[in-house]
Amino acid sequence: MDLEILQGIISIIIILGVAPLFAGMVNKQKAVLTGRVGAPILQPYYELQRLIKKETINASGSSFISRISPLINLVTLIIAAAMLPVGFWKPLISFDGDIILFAYILGLVRFFQILAAMDIGSSFEGMGAAREATFALFAEPIFFFTIGSISFISGFTSLYDIYHSIQLTNISYEVFIIICSISVFMLAVTECSRMPVDDPNTHLELTMIHEVMILDNSGIDLFLYQYSSYVKLFIYAILEVSFFYPFSKQSYLIGIIIFITGAIALTFLLGVVETITSRYRMKNIPQYLLFATAIGILNLLIYTFTK
Amino acid sequence: MKSLEVQNNQCFDRAAIQFLDRDDFRNSVSELMQNNCRMIALTPVDVNNGRKIIAVLADSSSSMIHMVGGDFREGKLEFESWANDFPQTNYFECELSENYGYVPLNHPWLRPVRKQNVILKNKPYQFFKLEGEEVHEVAVGPIHAGVIEPGHFRFQCHGELVYNLEINLGYQHRGVEELLLKANQNQRIILSESIAGDTTIGHVFAHCNAIENLSNTQLSLRAEVIRTIASEIERIAMHLSALGGIANDVGFALPASSYGRLRTLAINSLAAICGSRFGRGLFVYGGVRFDLNETIINTVVENLKIINDDVREINKYLFSSVGALSRFEETGIVNTNLAKSIGLVGLAARASGIEEDTRINFPYGAYRYNPISMITLATGDVFARARMRAIEIEETIRFVFDQIENIPQGEIKSEHGRMAANSGVVSIVEGCRGEIVHIVFTDEARVLSNYKIKDPSFNNWYGLSLALRETAISDFPLCNKSFDLSYAGHDL
Repeated sequence: MDLEILQGIISIIIILGVAPLFAGMVNKQKAVLTGRVGAPILQPYYELQRLIKKETINASGSSFISRISPLINLVTLIIAAAMLPVGFWKPLISFDGDIILFAYILGLVRFFQILAAMDIGSSFEGMGAAREATFALFAEPIFFFTIGSISFISGFTSLYDIYHSIQLTNISYEVFIIICSISVFMLAVTECSRMPVDDPNTHLELTMIHEVMILDNSGIDLFLYQYSSYVKLFIYAILEVSFFYPFSKQSYLIGIIIFITGAIALTFLLGVVETITSRYRMKNIPQYLLFATAIGILNLLIYTFTK
Repeated sequence: MKSLEVQNNQCFDRAAIQFLDRDDFRNSVSELMQNNCRMIALTPVDVNNGRKIIAVLADSSSSMIHMVGGDFREGKLEFESWANDFPQTNYFECELSENYGYVPLNHPWLRPVRKQNVILKNKPYQFFKLEGEEVHEVAVGPIHAGVIEPGHFRFQCHGELVYNLEINLGYQHRGVEELLLKANQNQRIILSESIAGDTTIGHVFAHCNAIENLSNTQLSLRAEVIRTIASEIERIAMHLSALGGIANDVGFALPASSYGRLRTLAINSLAAICGSRFGRGLFVYGGVRFDLNETIINTVVENLKIINDDVREINKYLFSSVGALSRFEETGIVNTNLAKSIGLVGLAARASGIEEDTRINFPYGAYRYNPISMITLATGDVFARARMRAIEIEETIRFVFDQIENIPQGEIKSEHGRMAANSGVVSIVEGCRGEIVHIVFTDEARVLSNYKIKDPSFNNWYGLSLALRETAISDFPLCNKSFDLSYAGHDL
């Protein structure tokens, strides 16, 4: 019992500690693929270190929502991280039906971010909030139709149990998991505002979705937002990599190897996608998201009929 | 004919301009514009005497420049505005009004061009406003999130759709024209090099042409060719950087960084010629300061060969990418009729199907002997403007190779004489964005009495604001980059 809690705490520490490194690796991959040297892999840590030293300035017209939102952001993400199984370890929070909590805890993050953006009262932030809310509407079904369909098939409703139900013995289940991982990848791209939905490197206020909402934040607030976005990206990375664990073997060595190679492969994949695709037109993004949902629905149908 | 007709770079006597009374003046200008002339300047002959103005109009089909004088010494400084019939004069009238206190009657929307306080008499400017419950206003700039020049953009939107965009500029106003009047001979070149940082050669070329023709200085053929080569290399560099910007704005990382890499090669070629990557210090009155020798030619040719080979590959990649094309096509359309009526110039005009290239319509320098091909595209969208650049780079490289191969021998610098008294000259040069106009007048003491500059951006900002209508606001940066206009060139 005590060991499980310890393992859960270590999992959270791993997620919180490694998250910026993952973001740094994606950026490095992207730089190398476009023929540049790029910033060091540890750059996100330096950025965070820089931000934490800076003074926090709040927009003059903003209320307490803007002040508490960054903290709520990080705390809720830590709770989400606590529900995520890292490797074979049981997460700190795990109960039947926790996928619903997980999905809406991430929803809460977005809710407060949108509120905070509207709170500042600038037209930019309002525009970003409108876009975020619109695209979130299309992104939510992706989660439920992919993770939800695995849950439906396996009969479990907790993330830990769902992942442990993946036994790579049944071929049709294997194909199913691979296709599900594609939709989760598309979901991750959307939720973490990366290409081709949102460009994290752009300086153009009018095209931003996520970045424009935090345009007026600085210092600790920006640190919290920035750190939350790294954690969020890493949470989705774990969601993705966990599909490929050898759950039937329960070998720690293979587990660690798969975790590391999976994460590196994912940075590579994100890097490639961001290098060779251009951003979609804003009005075409819902189509892209509906496509990911369609994959989920199709999967569910195929599994139901071939079982 | 009541107008004085001159050619590009032809020195004329100020006394040859006939100054008409206000009604005659207005009608003559209208008549010329009816006959497909484009307004290129509306300015007094002497800055100290604002009551005698001239309208300068260019006729591309006959390669002639018409000058119509207007005498406003009696009565009020008022004239009936042309802008309702010919929107191209809109900005010129605003500019005249701002600088010399003229009132264009029935002008549709008189607004400040560079100096916020003159027309408005210190009242804050009222932007065009759209009313309605779902309408919202977005104000961008003048301080932007990136390191770019300052400009204020005011969007009236309905959701993501832009209904009206107003562009307010003038934050870079340095008073270049006034400075040029006061400057001595050596300072003038340096000043004209810094009118717009990215069109150094374009502006200094126009300036040198104007001053040399005022003082009847003949250039050697070799000097002309070196100038032309430098100006074409600048065009290659600017087109590459604009294409890189366009790719970057749709988040297409691979072409963006490749164009960036190639641009360095282009500006390094300029550095090989004159020691400055932007071509500063190359031009002097009467020729150029640096000659081309074997090693320089080899470096330039080698660099251009790499650009030529690589740019084809990257263009193929960019213009065959479905994602990029879906962003470019049918975004920010300026159709041919609209482009004509608002007087678009240069690359943006050619992308809208107007056959308008100063190098061909008003040939100067080495273009008089070595023609360059006219390239136009019909659609007038972001795609056309991006594709234009890609095609122009290839054509320009061909032209430069041609020039380098047949470079004439001779001196690179000839004696520069004194400027003629009581004269004027209109010098038009095709910069990388389009038509650069420098109009110079001297008085009886052989001192400059007016120096008027028109950067292509002055015309084309208007095009950008119209291109945005009914376009998604998130496509603004892409449209903006496809025009790639200069703030400094507009603000002077």
